[in-house]
Amino acid sequence: MIIFKQVSYTYPGSKKTALKNINMEIQTGSFNLVIGASGSGKSTLLRCINGLIPHFSGGLLSGDIRVLDLNPVHATPKIMSQHVGFIFQDPEYQFIVDRVEDELAFTLENLAIQPEEMHQRVEYILELLSLRSLRKRRIDSLSGGERQRVAIGTALTLQPEILVLDEPTSQLDPDSAWEVLDAVKKLNKSSGLTILIAEHRIERLLQFTDNLIYINNNGDGLISGNPRQVFSQIELVPPVTALGKALHVKPLPVTMEEARKSLKNVQSAQSARHQPLQIEKSPRESFIKISDLEVSLGKTRVLEHLNLNLQPGEILVLMGLNGSGKTTLIRTIVGLVSQQKGKIFIQGKDASGMKVAEICRQVGYLPQDPNTLLFADTVEEELMVTLRNQEETGIFDDLEGFQLEIQKALTRLGLENFSQQYPRDLSVGQRQRTALGAVTITNPKIVLLDEPTRGLDYSAKESLGILLKEWRDAGTAVLMVTHDVELAARIADRVAILEDGQITACGDPAQVMRRTKTFTPQIARLFPDTDWLTPADVTAGSESSGLGA
Amino acid sequence: MINTWAWIIWLGAVLVGLWSTRNPVYLGIIFIGLILVWRLLTTAIEKVDPAERQRFPFSPRRISLIIIIFSAVFNGLISQFGETVLFTLPAWIPYLGGPFTLEGLVFGALNGLVLSGILIAFIVINLALPVHSLVRLIPRAFYPVAVVTSIAITFMPNTIQQFELIREAQAIRGHRVRGIRDWIPLIMPLLIGGLEKAMGLAEAMTARGFAGQESSESNRNLRICQVVGLVLIFSGWLLQSFSTRDTLGIAILMLGLGLVLFSLWKIGRRASRSVYKREKWTGYDFLVIVFSLIVTVIYWLPLVNIDRSTLFYNPYPFLTSPAINPSILFATFGLIAPGIFYGFQGIPNKIFKKPASENDHF
Repeated sequence: MIIFKQVSYTYPGSKKTALKNINMEIQTGSFNLVIGASGSGKSTLLRCINGLIPHFSGGLLSGDIRVLDLNPVHATPKIMSQHVGFIFQDPEYQFIVDRVEDELAFTLENLAIQPEEMHQRVEYILELLSLRSLRKRRIDSLSGGERQRVAIGTALTLQPEILVLDEPTSQLDPDSAWEVLDAVKKLNKSSGLTILIAEHRIERLLQFTDNLIYINNNGDGLISGNPRQVFSQIELVPPVTALGKALHVKPLPVTMEEARKSLKNVQSAQSARHQPLQIEKSPRESFIKISDLEVSLGKTRVLEHLNLNLQPGEILVLMGLNGSGKTTLIRTIVGLVSQQKGKIFIQGKDASGMKVAEICRQVGYLPQDPNTLLFADTVEEELMVTLRNQEETGIFDDLEGFQLEIQKALTRLGLENFSQQYPRDLSVGQRQRTALGAVTITNPKIVLLDEPTRGLDYSAKESLGILLKEWRDAGTAVLMVTHDVELAARIADRVAILEDGQITACGDPAQVMRRTKTFTPQIARLFPDTDWLTPADVTAGSESSGLGA
Repeated sequence: MINTWAWIIWLGAVLVGLWSTRNPVYLGIIFIGLILVWRLLTTAIEKVDPAERQRFPFSPRRISLIIIIFSAVFNGLISQFGETVLFTLPAWIPYLGGPFTLEGLVFGALNGLVLSGILIAFIVINLALPVHSLVRLIPRAFYPVAVVTSIAITFMPNTIQQFELIREAQAIRGHRVRGIRDWIPLIMPLLIGGLEKAMGLAEAMTARGFAGQESSESNRNLRICQVVGLVLIFSGWLLQSFSTRDTLGIAILMLGLGLVLFSLWKIGRRASRSVYKREKWTGYDFLVIVFSLIVTVIYWLPLVNIDRSTLFYNPYPFLTSPAINPSILFATFGLIAPGIFYGFQGIPNKIFKKPASENDHF
């Protein structure tokens, strides 16, 4: 049992309270999902459970916390680690040694556990988390999902009763994320562990969730209860629930199964097929034209016979499984990877032989990790650096031109109030927009984004979608690589699927996204015989046919 | 799997061999032996798990070739000794002007061969031994140092990868390195990211129970001991270096060193630890050790029946054929011993797949 009574917390040096008067009770053996916007205090709440707050972070903590009758503040993280396993966001930085089995044993060796018992615990965990085949593997050769399972394993070696996971899938692709979430579900069901998980990908977990905890913005209060109760009071809901709310369905559907039952009459409205907006294609030349492209990395052929066009004023979403070559394609376009065969034309000019900087004056490219771009003291300075780098090209003639352009960009990105802030102090979404500003300050006609939604919460994704649509409407061509099917369904004009280095489908999102289950949004799965992809499509379609729930 | 101690002794023998000779025949055999061990090891690892291929992204042969050519040309340009002149550079070129000789070229190539040999030996050790095996060799007194070293080694591949990502990310913003200031956009994200990751790891370790020891009177005394020891080391060094009382300086330095080691030993004894798996010794391990020790003894010790003068080879002033001693020649082949293990036994069943009997006691 975990009990919080009137818990408030303030980080050292901060005037803002991270948690305010939090009260909650968590039952032993329950599955608890913690949701809320970025910066709402989810991580802070979780760190109170094992005493990392205040022992690791310092700060002011008030109120009373009881975890299995222990007070984490008095017990310290060392004692709490034997009761509470804690998994962090980034799987890369949780390991001390280089092999899976050694890593699992390392904590036990440190606690001087007897070898016989160590063997038993390690074997049990290898079995429980299906890690047997990976036991001798080097950790840096594992996928993100496998690494996160190893991290869970290291926490479980101490045989905790509670497992706390702080956005364990935020840095992972969907396949790896499902792999981790499945392992967590299994732990709850088979071992009876109490689970507390903060997670943005809530759809997959809802059917197992006993208790949903929603933290209001700025940690100011909390709503908890069964998912249906909580979702009826908040706006942060999965697509099927959003649809249920829009159609005033009672009881509110939370999972796909519930939605199928409660939205039966909408589903039967086959006649009300919604035709998605057709984007009128400009007769102008493609901004990017790729023909018969072949790329190898070392001895491995990554892309072959690839043909793709990117038109002005469109958002093309590129999807594909891990290792299908999406990132390699983008890196090849900007000249970071050289092609063995084929041609890439950028605004009509053959890009072969062009330098990266030269290509990137026409193409804004946002890599997966925006932190690799950020080093300046302020957001404004970060944008200024790119302009200075391009100064000799005479894009802007004077300092006044620089300043004007930066102000315009900050406004466009919604960062005007953060211009003097240190970029790395901003939220994930704001950091990303700063990085986006740094690569698009030269006003390129083409923008390439590699997994821009990684680690973003719903509202940050929404803001990104709006920004990309604005750019699209202004004539910019956007190519976005993403695994986020719901965002793709909302903003894509065209969707292309990359499989084993080849484009296997490209065209209308409503048709292409139905081809593979992995890339089908919830609404499309719910209404397989329609063209609907988003709740907005359904409400528009239902209204046009005069149907309701 | 070959025992960690056997690998360390083998590495020692390789280094002794490389440092002790400039005889092209012996060096050639050591170099070919190292390439062979590397090749058999990587083949065996790759056979078991193709994903491990990413651990050897570059070929040591190619790198060795670059090192040897660079070293040979560089020495040829600056040495200017030797009688076989290949061509002469104009005298007005500073430092480089003068004759470019075959002898200078060969001497440089031999030095390049030694450097590449050392590099390949460490690549082999890095491939063959998990970090944990090396950490276990460190005495308990230095356990905290061992953990820090282990973390640093584990972080290294990631840091290199991260630097590459940052370099690319800055390149797409039009960044070019033209002066020292231009390194800031590359170094700062790496440094800040590194600090953020260090904080993340520290937090993860705290959550896993790696907390500092409780403060006690005796712990405090030991820490004072360490500080006093360091002050004595520094004072002794100052005295020894900058005054005429160098004997007193050395004595103070040694006293300081003794105090630091004593306090580390005491702290280490308190850190109770257990060992998950003790490494087993096999006949192959003894084979590797015996062959390695033979190489070490023959290359290092002045044995009566062995003519060690063949170890020394000087291409100046003109090239001569290197003399060869059969005992040294055959002993040098012993460095291929780990390759024999991987070649004939293969590592798949030894390292990666656990034998059924190993699970019996669970």
